[in-house]
Amino acid sequence: MKLRFWGVRGSFAMSGRDYLKYGGNTTSIELVTAAGERLLVDLGTGATELAKELMAGEFGKGKGRLPILLSHTHLDHIQGLPFFTPFFIKGNEIRIMGADPISGLSLEATLQNQLAPHYSPLNGLENLAAGVSISSFIPGGTIALPGFVVTTAALPHGNMWTTAFRIVADGKTVTFLSDVEYPSPDDPLPAALALASSADLVIHDAMHADDDYHLRKGWGHSPMSAGIVVCERAQAKRLALFHHSPDATDVMIDDVVARLSATTTIPLFAAAEGAYLDV
Amino acid sequence: MQITFWGVRGSYPVPGSATVRYGGQTSCVETRTASGDTVIVDAGTGLRALGNKLAGEAGGKPRQYHVLLSHVHWDHIQGLPFFSPAYVPGTKISVYALLTAADELNQVIGGITRHEFFPLPLESVPAEFDFHQVEPGVDFVIGGFHITPIALNHPFGSVGYRIDGDGASWAYVADTAPFDQVLHKQHFLKGLETLTADDRSALASMREALMARLKGVDTVVYDTHFLPEEYARFPHYGHSTPDQALELCAEAGVRRLVLYHHAPSHSDDQMDEIAASYLAKGAPLGIEVLTSFEGLTIQVGPEPRGDDDLVEEPTRPGTGVQNVVSGEST
Repeated sequence: MKLRFWGVRGSFAMSGRDYLKYGGNTTSIELVTAAGERLLVDLGTGATELAKELMAGEFGKGKGRLPILLSHTHLDHIQGLPFFTPFFIKGNEIRIMGADPISGLSLEATLQNQLAPHYSPLNGLENLAAGVSISSFIPGGTIALPGFVVTTAALPHGNMWTTAFRIVADGKTVTFLSDVEYPSPDDPLPAALALASSADLVIHDAMHADDDYHLRKGWGHSPMSAGIVVCERAQAKRLALFHHSPDATDVMIDDVVARLSATTTIPLFAAAEGAYLDV
Repeated sequence: MQITFWGVRGSYPVPGSATVRYGGQTSCVETRTASGDTVIVDAGTGLRALGNKLAGEAGGKPRQYHVLLSHVHWDHIQGLPFFSPAYVPGTKISVYALLTAADELNQVIGGITRHEFFPLPLESVPAEFDFHQVEPGVDFVIGGFHITPIALNHPFGSVGYRIDGDGASWAYVADTAPFDQVLHKQHFLKGLETLTADDRSALASMREALMARLKGVDTVVYDTHFLPEEYARFPHYGHSTPDQALELCAEAGVRRLVLYHHAPSHSDDQMDEIAASYLAKGAPLGIEVLTSFEGLTIQVGPEPRGDDDLVEEPTRPGTGVQNVVSGEST
């Protein structure tokens, strides 16, 4: 399985020369199996860059098939949706899956609100030319997709819930644990540890510097060391620090990686936009 | 009076190596009189960096801010939840906008901070918001500014603003399509539709009212999202070309045009070409054509005395402001 980060930034897309090494786009991750099956996690602004590549292939001809998992519907995870060009080509079949954000409000109604006429000239999901299906699942189960098996779990994200994923393909496991905050960052919730158990790669929320975390406790994000605790306890093989703060420049992230690497035997790196990684 | 550009991009923010000089953030402009009165036009993602600067100037004290919105598409409002002065208790934020849908303005603006989109709902933000509905042609005063909303041609409606202050004037004309091929209303357009006689007459009146407001304006900032060949493919998207802007400015006798709301696909190198090409096209018409970039500050009208107080003007793209600190939690 290969993986490419198209957006690694949390909260807000950051442009400018201080954000070139790691990238300024908000959350979006592409996974591809050896057989060429593809899965996308989240539709932040990074998805607009992936869209350009997809349109050069079968999606430009209206023959693309793509499953998309949404962790939650905060804007930085869906803001690329109205500009994800495969939606505009008739014949593409795109399946969006996620948990309902609030009891009583479906995922589909939420995305419909995003495209409401005053906010978007698209004027509603019904005007997307592609075949788009939006389905809600209840976290805690397993979803079988072409080439992938995905196990889901709900984890606390401030005053809402986010969905974490354990994604298995080609005999490898990637665990996505972004926008999570455990009641105590030193003591990850059992649901998170279960998803990360023996994973080849854990992608973990690293929004806050450990020194600043006390100022932002309860806001729904982890201090950078939380992912290390998860990997050590779950015996995961490798950690990608993810969902970088909009204030974290390339220099600051380099510094954090150097300091954190010295505290653990878990190989770790900061997720960066760019090349495909072999899992 | 000064104009400073904090976000010059249309549609969505575009980080990366291709946008470091012109900037990747969406629509947001600050204008300021010599005595320091400030108005913000549009609240795209450029608003985050502007908010950090304004918060620094306020030194943690509450102030009143005025935000004029052209319309409420995401690229013009997405910065609002990240405007750091809004988190200082006692701050007042007045938002001016066209009422475009059946909903009340506060519901439309509040809708972007609904629970499923953002952690903190508008009513829990410490700042006090008040909403003002603007009407094309009905002018109003904010501090030293005299402001006139102008109806524009964009899906679900949009307004530009003529802004007079310090004896000078400028106009913000975004977002708008030209006034010939399509009349934007409140429905989805798959492509061009046949114009009725009423549509043509509505377009003619809209153009005439815009021309009347642009007469005598020192500087016009215009939605020039598309190059002509791009416009030809997407005439129903609600945006204009620099050529269309030049035509209107020439007719209105405007001497300076600023290209604005750049397509997200236009790289710095393309923007350099666009800037050079339209600077040359404007010259024979007697119009100075500038191409906006993040950090650009323009003086409109005479320089105030006491030039030491002025922001130093970056002379080329990429030398402008850098983003500074704030915290948020989506």
